Amino acid sequence: MTAAAIGLPADAVARPSPRATRPGASTSLERVSFSFQTEKGARLAIESANLHIEAGELVCLVGPSGSGKSTILNLIAGLLAPTEGRVLENGAPIDGPGPARAMVFQDAALFPWLTLRDNVEYPLQLAGTPKGERRARSEELLRMVHLWRFAQSFPHELSGGMRQRGAIARALATDPAVLLMDEPFAALDAQTREILQGEVERIFLETRKTVVFVTHNVREAVRLADRIVLMGTRPGRILRDVIIDLPRPRAANDERVAWFAADVAGEIRSEVEKIAREEADDAWVAPGGRVRVDPRRNMGGGI
Amino acid sequence: MFASILVGTWAAASSLANSPLLPGPIAVGRTIAAALRDGTLPRALGTSLLRLLVGYAVSLGCGVLLGVSLARSPKTKSAIGPLILGLSSVPSICWLPLAILWFGLSEWAIQTVIVLGALLPIAVATEGAVRHVPPQLIRAARTMGARGPRLLFGVMIPAAFPGILSGAKLGWTFALRSLMAGELLFVSGGLGQLLETGRDIGDTALVLAIIVTIVALGRASEWLLFGRLDREVGRRWGTEAA
Repeated sequence: MTAAAIGLPADAVARPSPRATRPGASTSLERVSFSFQTEKGARLAIESANLHIEAGELVCLVGPSGSGKSTILNLIAGLLAPTEGRVLENGAPIDGPGPARAMVFQDAALFPWLTLRDNVEYPLQLAGTPKGERRARSEELLRMVHLWRFAQSFPHELSGGMRQRGAIARALATDPAVLLMDEPFAALDAQTREILQGEVERIFLETRKTVVFVTHNVREAVRLADRIVLMGTRPGRILRDVIIDLPRPRAANDERVAWFAADVAGEIRSEVEKIAREEADDAWVAPGGRVRVDPRRNMGGGI
Repeated sequence: MFASILVGTWAAASSLANSPLLPGPIAVGRTIAAALRDGTLPRALGTSLLRLLVGYAVSLGCGVLLGVSLARSPKTKSAIGPLILGLSSVPSICWLPLAILWFGLSEWAIQTVIVLGALLPIAVATEGAVRHVPPQLIRAARTMGARGPRLLFGVMIPAAFPGILSGAKLGWTFALRSLMAGELLFVSGGLGQLLETGRDIGDTALVLAIIVTIVALGRASEWLLFGRLDREVGRRWGTEAA
């Protein structure tokens, strides 16, 4: 799929930033445990997780299914309440969902009965924003994600990548302090995914929201994150942090991204192999006998 | 096309039979014209339509609310779910004797039958439709701050609309059938009574004229309302309109 086919102008350069009035907020989990009630009794989904995310930081949660990364996102969103421990936003406990924390879902979750523009305006309508302001804001956001031409389209008329960009515009409508993204690009083809990763980075650089991004894909995490939080399974828990101190904006085909991804993947081989078994993906390097491409080393290229 | 073959066959059969028991399309058309001129048909149609609209509106409102509460509240579901399924297997006309005992030969009796006939299919369809609303849509709405009635009327019911619409269409035909059955049984001033009159005086043309009117009524409701809603759902959801 080409850039034009998903509705992007060929030169998708950064547009003037939408006014970001609300700065990113810090978010913390303090000794958070969460259990689901199942028919066989309580099942521990997250065990004693501690996590601090700085205001304006882009953190990727990476781990196999069952490591509780989506659960952490739902806890921060306020959709779930922790069984033990506390979830804080700027130091204050989070009490239920609210417009300060917006979520983007894997399947976009746009309302099929509303046009794209009405979808973007829906959270503003809930917030009681006057109509004129809603119209102005939705236009600004749809222009920012290059979907203004499709404002009157219904979601089924858009491609998967366009729907995701619409969902991002909707999430940004109420100017949230924290943007939560739950595997937003997992269902997209590789090219569209790369373009949208660039979009997320651009929006992040423009708005300086706090972004918590859940993914299976180590390479995607390295491309986007200031810091990667690796998660393990049974029970879900945080294993460790990896700081990704690459300069921004990052290119999808940057060798350093690939190298970092290989490095991260190497460190969590057993966890990643669980991921790979679930979802064969371009980030997974076949085990054994592989060559780690290190851009700092010349492997005889000058002979 | 098919309709003209049907009418042609009917005309041929009636001229072959040459009996007052099977009047042809022309005779029935004349009867309709005459009934329209002397006002019996418009009056009967008006009376029936008004009843239908009242009973249907009540069924639609209560049926949707009942369906939503069945889908969203496990307590309601376990308390009256089995009862609803059981009751919906009772043909609505079976309620008429009871309704007459309770309310006498009155509007209330007919309305009871209409509502009992139409409400249950609407409730059952609504329950299924609400149950199948993608949970992501509800979670998305909740993260944006939708709760309570705004979540219900702003998200759940619109999301379930295609399913509710099928229930509403089913409910409409059930309401119409219940109405006719109810009107047949006592002096009521509606189309059903006119049917009964036709039988009493042996006027087959009148009976067929009423049936043609009922068919037209069904087509008109599809054309004026349900067909349009179907197309609108198709346009928005990207599904084929029936």
